[in-house]
This record gives sequence, C-alpha cells and structure tokens, in this order.
Amino acid sequence: MSAILLVRLKITDLSAWTALETGRRLLDPGYTLTRLAREQLLMFEPEPDVRTDSFERSLGEAVRHSNFFVNPNKETFRLLTAAERGETWSPPEGAWGVLTRPREDTRDERLRESLQREHPMPGLRAIRRARVWWLGTRGPDGGTAIPYFSAALGDLRGPRHGLLVNPHAEASMILPGAVPWTRVERFLTEPLPALTGAA
Amino acid sequence: MGRVAVVQIPGVNCEYETTRALEAVGLMARIVRWNEPASVWSEFDAYVIPGGFAFQDRIRAGAIAAKLPAVDRIAAEAESGKPVLGICNGAQVLVEAGLVPGFEHGRVEMALAPNAAPRRAGYLCRWVWLRTAVGPGRSWYASSIPDGEVIPMPIAHGEGRFLTADPEVLRRIQEEGLALFRYVSPSGGPAEGYPHDPNGAMLGAAGITNRAGNILAFMPHPERASWLRQVPLEMKHAWGEKRRAAVGRWDALEGPGPGRLLFESLARKLGAGQPREVGS
Repeated sequence: MSAILLVRLKITDLSAWTALETGRRLLDPGYTLTRLAREQLLMFEPEPDVRTDSFERSLGEAVRHSNFFVNPNKETFRLLTAAERGETWSPPEGAWGVLTRPREDTRDERLRESLQREHPMPGLRAIRRARVWWLGTRGPDGGTAIPYFSAALGDLRGPRHGLLVNPHAEASMILPGAVPWTRVERFLTEPLPALTGAA
Repeated sequence: MGRVAVVQIPGVNCEYETTRALEAVGLMARIVRWNEPASVWSEFDAYVIPGGFAFQDRIRAGAIAAKLPAVDRIAAEAESGKPVLGICNGAQVLVEAGLVPGFEHGRVEMALAPNAAPRRAGYLCRWVWLRTAVGPGRSWYASSIPDGEVIPMPIAHGEGRFLTADPEVLRRIQEEGLALFRYVSPSGGPAEGYPHDPNGAMLGAAGITNRAGNILAFMPHPERASWLRQVPLEMKHAWGEKRRAAVGRWDALEGPGPGRLLFESLARKLGAGQPREVGS
C-alpha cells in the first residue's frame, strides 16, 4: 500500500489567495466561496514485495530529515502511512476538494532518481505527483452546492467557466466527502481517456 | 491604421522591447495597462500581449489573466477582424481564454502544458528553428517570410507545449493549417526530438492561430530577434553569417533580425507607414 505526503505552505499562499479572488468573480449571486487552500500530494509506491513497516520508516526519515520534500521554513506536511490514513480520505472540516493530476504519467522519475542518490530508499517503485484544492463554499440554500461550484471553478471550459484545472493538460476528481483511498490511488495511477468535445 | 496596444498585465516583462520592435516596423505602439477603461480598447487596430509572468503564473501560466475584462474586450475587438498576437506568456493567456484555436466560441480547446523532452524538464531558454505552414494566419503574421525559409528565433519558457486532449481539435488544427509556425531542424526537416523540438508540442507547433488567422498564440520571442545584433555570433546559419559580417559595423548591427519578419508581416497587413529610421 502506498504512503501519502501532503505538503502545504504555512506562509500566505498567494496562488490560493489569487484563485480565491478570481473564483469569486466567476460566481452567480447567492453563491459564496468562503475559503480556498492548496496542498501538494506525493504518493510513494513501494515494490510489491517490500515490508511496509521498513519502507514507511525509511520514507519518514527521508521526509523529516532530508529536506527533500518539505522546506520547514515555509511549509508544513502530513505523512500518511498505511496505518495512519485509514480506509478513506476525508476533507478538512467544512471543506470539499478538487484533486488534480497531469493527464500524462503522474510518475516523477527525476524526483525518484535524485531521492535515491541522496537518501537511498530500497523498494521505492514510484513517486507520483498531484495537487488538491480544498474549497469552502455556500450556496443560496446554505449547503455546499458542490455541483455548482465544481462546474464554476473546476475544469476550465470557457473564459467564464472553470478555473482550477485545464482539462487538456490535467484531470480532476471531486472529493465531496470521505473517499476510499483505493479510488484515489486508481485516479492517480490509471491512464486517462481522450477528451471529446464539439469541435 | 497601425495603432497597436501592448497590453501591460501585472507580471509581464517584455512590454518595452515589444513596443520598440513594433515601432521599428512603422507601427504606432502604446503600452496600455490592463485596467484601462473599456472605451480605451476600441481605439486600437491591433493588440499584443507580451511575454512575462502575468500574475506570477498563479494557478497556471495565463490562467488568471485570461479572466481579465481587458481580455474580454480584446476578444470582442478580434471578432471584428483586428489582429491579436500573444507572445509566450501572451500565448498562454490566449489559449486559457479559449481564443485559439477557437473552433467553438467560448470553449477552451487546448493547454500550454509544461515542456516535455526526454531527461529534460522545466524552463528552457535557447534559439530554435521555425518554418511556416500554409494556413489562414499566413497573410497576417508570415507574409514577409519567404515560403519554405527556415528562420531562427529564441524561446524562453517552461510551459510551452501546445496540447489538446480532444483528438477532433488536433485533427482540425492540422487539416485547417492553424499550426502556422512549427519547430524544425536547421535544414528545415521535421524537428525529431530535443533539441530541435524543444518542448514536445503537438504537431511541433510553435505558434497556432484561430480559424480566421487574426489571432496568433506564439511561443518564441520575435522581439528578442528583431535586430541583427540580437542574433548569436556563433549561430550556424545564414543569419549567423550576416551577424558575423556585421561585427564592428554599428549600422549593420542595427539592421533587422529574423524576428522582425513577423512584425513586418503584421505591419503590412495593417497597412502601416514606413519603418522608423534605424537608431531614431
């Protein structure tokens, strides 16, 4: 089972702030975007025959001591091992998420190679990259109005529709509540079909 | 005719040299801030969104700028046939705004994705070789470039890979000749891989137009190749020979570089006056 590292800025995230301000201008009256936060997600895949405990111990050391993934001066992180993360991934309280990945292979081979040079990790098969946006939203009826906001602020379809994801380069998955990790892993590892439109 | 707005969006950094390059071909270029009143935009005959890092490339390159009211107004002016040239970051803005290729009005049909070359990623600054194709943009942006001629041009980008996930969009770009500028080898053959293909763009595209041809999203920097003095001395090409022959001759160094051809094409289309005197 993979391990997940979530990294976010602890200084002001100006990208998220600008996305918040821009996103608010795309909304219809009655819909409110209350907050927007961003995290980088790294998924570490072990080889199938590797012992989980030794793999995770080695990964934890690399994350905490190598300064390879986290700059502690400006970032904070959560390392979710197989035991810690449970069966599902739940958004922060009151929020829901848009998980995005490149449409192409999500593996960062260059990162894996440089990590292995500096901090050898036997049994590390792949490191995959993604990003998650956490949104706090409120619709006219007081609910989160996820379908409305995901259409308005998620996949970019036109100049007034969508913002956070360009679907020609990226794919997205909505995290409305607790989502099984197996589904997240599938989303991050499986090849994606072509988009079809009305061109 | 020939009044060009060079759009100054927070974070762009090529507006002054772009203005000079436009003036050198006789166009009346003026830097216009992104937050000018709506009435200002219709005063111009053409628009150039220069290179740089609009809004620091937050979210994605061009993503925030594409939502500006100024871009909406430029899009409206383009519908009446006025030309719009996006250079590098400007190209990213045009793609994110759905103005290129623009098969379906108001739909974003492409991305400018991070460069992809084997064992090479991230920002890349170098000279590349371009060739033009036959298509609707030729009379707007390539009429001064002899058919089949290979021209050198500098690039400087980290997200320059034209990409669509819609196979129908790709087919139509190819069939309708919208990939006006393509990366090629120095001899003019297909750019087969890095370094001649610097970023892995679909169709080897360096510049893609809309169907009318008046909007061009162009990744290289013609303003950085508008004077002969900007051509590298070591370039193995007729332009390099010209550059070496000009060493020590100020008037020759101030002569046109290969990027000037694109601006000359635009000036010709706009019926602009005589180019400004060299050094004036």
